[in-house]
Amino acid sequence: MHAVVFIKQVPQQNSVKITPDKQIDASGIEPIISLFDEYALEEALLQVEKNGGQVTVVTIGGEEQIDALRKALAMGANQAILVNDPALATIGSLDAAKVGAAVVKKLGDFDAIFCGKQSTDDETAVFGPALARYLGLPVLSYVFKVHELDANARRVVVDRAMETTTETVEASLPAVLTTVKDLNQPRYPSLLKIKKAQKADIPRWTAADLGLNPTELAPKVTYLDRVPPPPRPKGSIIDGASAQEKARKLVDALVDTQVI
Amino acid sequence: MNFELTEEQQFIQQTVRDFAQKEIAPRSAHIDATGEFPHAIFRHMAELGLLGLPFPEEYGGAEADALSVALATEEIARGDGSTALAYLAHIGLGSTPLHLFGTEEQKRRFLTPAAQGEYMAAFGLTEPQAGSDAGATRTTARLEGDEWVINGEKLWITNAPIAGHIIVAALTDKEQGRKGISMIIVPRGTPGLSFGKHEHKMGLRGSMSTAVFLNDVRVPKENLLGQRGRGYSHFLQVLDGGRITIGAMAIGLAQTAYETAVKYAQQRETFGKPIGAYQSVSNMIADMVVGLEAARLLVYKVAWLKDQGQPFSHAAAVAKLYATEASEKICRDAIQVLGGNGYSSEYPVERLYRDTRLLTIGEGTSEIQRMVIARHVLGSFAAQL
Repeated sequence: MHAVVFIKQVPQQNSVKITPDKQIDASGIEPIISLFDEYALEEALLQVEKNGGQVTVVTIGGEEQIDALRKALAMGANQAILVNDPALATIGSLDAAKVGAAVVKKLGDFDAIFCGKQSTDDETAVFGPALARYLGLPVLSYVFKVHELDANARRVVVDRAMETTTETVEASLPAVLTTVKDLNQPRYPSLLKIKKAQKADIPRWTAADLGLNPTELAPKVTYLDRVPPPPRPKGSIIDGASAQEKARKLVDALVDTQVI
Repeated sequence: MNFELTEEQQFIQQTVRDFAQKEIAPRSAHIDATGEFPHAIFRHMAELGLLGLPFPEEYGGAEADALSVALATEEIARGDGSTALAYLAHIGLGSTPLHLFGTEEQKRRFLTPAAQGEYMAAFGLTEPQAGSDAGATRTTARLEGDEWVINGEKLWITNAPIAGHIIVAALTDKEQGRKGISMIIVPRGTPGLSFGKHEHKMGLRGSMSTAVFLNDVRVPKENLLGQRGRGYSHFLQVLDGGRITIGAMAIGLAQTAYETAVKYAQQRETFGKPIGAYQSVSNMIADMVVGLEAARLLVYKVAWLKDQGQPFSHAAAVAKLYATEASEKICRDAIQVLGGNGYSSEYPVERLYRDTRLLTIGEGTSEIQRMVIARHVLGSFAAQL
């Protein structure tokens, strides 16, 4: 089987600072693979390990995204593709899905597409469903367990995590699966694969390579304002002669601050 | 000069940091309290390829350079000292001699399973009468037909009871003294091989260091590692490399002590101010920064020298001496910054202090390092001694 995984490199939580003029301060940002995308990648790797085949990992963005792709290769992905075009630098989620669909069509043969349920930076949760829509494929969102993924029988059965309930659904392949947290335990990159991942040839595709017209992909949403989160109040250490006294003081403090 | 890590080095550093912070650090207090060897962590480290980090791919390694190994060691030690020591004993002492001096067959039989993490490796050098003075080795190995027959006793052998093989230093030619020492590979389960109790130590309690008893232990002639009679110079070469990673381990322990002290100095208030606002405390923090920075420069530089194929023996002694003594001071001061809490096992700094205390002793004491450094400058005065 051929699994295609879309990943996005995002800032580590809490590493984003907003400047006084409401711009994003890129200086302290620690890049990581978006949390839910790691689960997507792990699931694709697990399914391919079980069924045979290969995993292609794709991301859309600038050269800095290469780190995420190399990490994915060191985790076990077979090939990586970077869609890098300055014209796509400010692309929105919906248009990113359009680009994703063009990538999948160019790849041709595939059985399943995995992506996180949403990115942990923009949090629009649009990409997966929109990608399925553009490709005319079934979408299985909020997947938290894959029961069966059989490329030969063209069949996939998964559990979906709804707000309060779960449901088991079946669809034909190919399909788009969007993944939630704790679907699996993402592996660490293998140090044995690092050299290979560092040397791997990662093709760069542009909008033109994908037959897309960048002017149609101009951002349709404009940011008007950004409000940074309020600074965290300072922590304090609770002193006391005994555990009981400390616990009592802690409870008092929590009551005072209306936490409990 | 270029102080930038390569992409590959950064990748290794980041991967091991993530792993160590998530999988190792949360278990450090438990490892210390129980003295349990962290088997599960090592199984996971094997999956990652950490246990063969510096060795060639054909023997199951990741072929990382010495600086990457130092960076990885530093991160493991940031997570837990016992794990770091067992790791170093495995890589630097138990496996490196095979990489440096092993025949193709020995590398296939012993280096590969060690690098792939099928088992831990150990190195048996220290004896009751031969620690710093390794030339005083008394363990003997005599050739009987096609077998070495080994007799003797080793002390403080890290990983010994869990090792798949132990590389033992033994006198193969008694009358030759130092030039009669050789290294011999003893596989686990060889009759006549037994171990002492798990030593109760001040720190690094999860690493298994025991006595090793060799009582008419017979191994095939082919288990001679390196040249007969060159064991002493062989293991000095091994120990030179070990000093780099002991320095890196010292930095990792000190880094955690430093971070704990900084956080505490920012949060703990006395007389209405965070204690970090008082110069007596902030000076200690400043000294920690300087100690860490200088130790890193020395350790990374010697790793770089090794990677360049340049002589690094002297620089390794300098780096090991400085990093381990700086680490001891940093961990000591971290306890001081935390005051009563620093003395409590509720906080990690007392453990870090106990852990780092070994590092000015193991793999060449500070006194031996000073001797090595001074001899490099002054000459050996061998005739006068």
